[in-house]
Amino acid sequence: MTETIIKLENLTKKFGDFTAVNNINLEVHRGEIIGLVGPNGAGKTTTIKMIAKILRPNSGRILLRTNQGKLEDLQNVSSTVTQMGFLIDIPEFYKMTAYQLLKYFAKLQNYPKDKINERIDWFLAFFKLTEWKHENVKNFSKGMKQKVGLIQAIIHDPEIIILDEPQTGLDPLARVDIRNGIKALQSAGKTIFVASHMLYEISEICDKIAMINRGSIIGFDTVENLASALKTSEIIFEVLESITPHELEPLLSRLIERLNPYLDKELDPSVSKIPIKYYPEEKELKIFYDGNHKSKGEILKILIKEFESDFTVISYTQEKTSQLERVYTQMVKDDDVNRKSKINGEVSKNEK
Amino acid sequence: MRNNKELLIGLKPIYNTITFEIKKQRKKFYAFLALIIIISVAIVVITGFIRPDTLVGFFFIALAFIIFLLDIAACLFFSAIICSEFDKKTGFIIFPKINKYKLILGKYIGNLILVIILITSYYIIIGITGLFYYGGETSIRVFSSYLIALLYLSTLSSFVTFFSSFLKSVNGTIVITFVLLLFGFMIIDQLVGLIFAEKFEPLYSLAFLGNLIVNILVFPDLRYIKVPFDMADPTGPSMVQWITPSIGVGITMMLLFTVLYLVLAALLFKRRQL
Repeated sequence: MTETIIKLENLTKKFGDFTAVNNINLEVHRGEIIGLVGPNGAGKTTTIKMIAKILRPNSGRILLRTNQGKLEDLQNVSSTVTQMGFLIDIPEFYKMTAYQLLKYFAKLQNYPKDKINERIDWFLAFFKLTEWKHENVKNFSKGMKQKVGLIQAIIHDPEIIILDEPQTGLDPLARVDIRNGIKALQSAGKTIFVASHMLYEISEICDKIAMINRGSIIGFDTVENLASALKTSEIIFEVLESITPHELEPLLSRLIERLNPYLDKELDPSVSKIPIKYYPEEKELKIFYDGNHKSKGEILKILIKEFESDFTVISYTQEKTSQLERVYTQMVKDDDVNRKSKINGEVSKNEK
Repeated sequence: MRNNKELLIGLKPIYNTITFEIKKQRKKFYAFLALIIIISVAIVVITGFIRPDTLVGFFFIALAFIIFLLDIAACLFFSAIICSEFDKKTGFIIFPKINKYKLILGKYIGNLILVIILITSYYIIIGITGLFYYGGETSIRVFSSYLIALLYLSTLSSFVTFFSSFLKSVNGTIVITFVLLLFGFMIIDQLVGLIFAEKFEPLYSLAFLGNLIVNILVFPDLRYIKVPFDMADPTGPSMVQWITPSIGVGITMMLLFTVLYLVLAALLFKRRQL
């Protein structure tokens, strides 16, 4: 495993009586892409603001591996300016041109003076903003501002990039551009920390996901491991032939009976009422199984061998997004239930 | 050698911020320069009619607007210096990139350079007119007035910056500081004169300290006057109205306030969270 580059230790932030971030512990390793997922007000942006030194934690600390190779308390490190790049919230800029802004930001972060223009031009071309180089950013659309926001975070070639909702409010094309930008950074070996609501984007790019709810981390692992921890998962099989409506019902019954040992026994009705679904337009069978890797193999074997006469499986996929959605929903629900029962317990204790 | 290099690297963000700030404020600068030119031309025309006896007398009239101009300049250029980063949320972009002390210093110096150019332009136009009206007559007092105006400008700038460090909106800062400078201090000074008479010189008051810019032209003159409540009875009860501080104390207080307000602003800015 690569070395830890950022470490959050018992990080807590309170605003009056409200605890926005509650005793968070998290380690980010060099080259990893970590996604921070959580509902509104969960504490994602507050956590990022503390890493950016915009907010001071009430307790706990943030450790950063410095250029000297030591993990040091962020409060005592001045090199953060050049080591990290931040995009926080929807970026708001001074009323200047994109070029003037980016040049100033690059200079502030000690990027070599003779290479600044070349770098600005490269990024503006990558994000299709070249013709807007000398336009005032106040005339930019939200998507264009977000792109300039991403450029300013990486203009000085930082080792660690921290992005807060980089795709919020963007149209699909701008979202693709931003995603491509993040992927390019990923292939350049950067360590990236992304907070987002967009589960698809997160599941596409992140190595690990940290789920945050009411200021606490409720899960931190790869999407697959998070899903297996919940003992529930889904897999989609594409079949060659259409299944006619009159064939479907008996077929589904047979499938459920045969695959029963591997199916999800505690399937959340809000996700699906039955463990196997058929989508005629896509010619797809969606199977909710117990999340076990072995079960996945067994299901595949059975479908190919025992149902050969009913349909031909031509491909199978496991959608990370829908998995993540389910994991996310389930974890947040469980966490809320735990909290409520804790509170109720305390209340009844006090009443006694 | 290494220390010098480190120092230079440490100062670079301040220098970059100064140049960026000057570029950022250039529209405001040109607009204000136009206003200064209009006011100075109006003064040139008016003094052309009145034509005082001496160059100092001419400057005494020509500088009648200087305090007002300095107040407006300070309010317009410095009110946004800190609070706009919070109000307009530009701080999310800039704070992670530069130490807050360096940021405030860079912005402060950048804006100060602009307002110094503006006020210098005013003095130059008035000065050239004075030379034109009164020939080669020169006065060290006019130059002293200019230097005190610059010092007073830096005091005002620190004062407005201080308010910008804790107030929420740019417009609010402009209004509050402008009202304070134009009326607030004056009202408090009147009350102090009424209560303490000549026993207490209002050295806390920036409006009072600013009077030195014009009064240095006629120094030593009365530092305060007694204004009777009943004009028909000059020997009856009166209140004291302070006119100007002494040169030494005035300069010291301005220097002190410049540093004090700026340090306080920097400390509040450092503590303030976005």
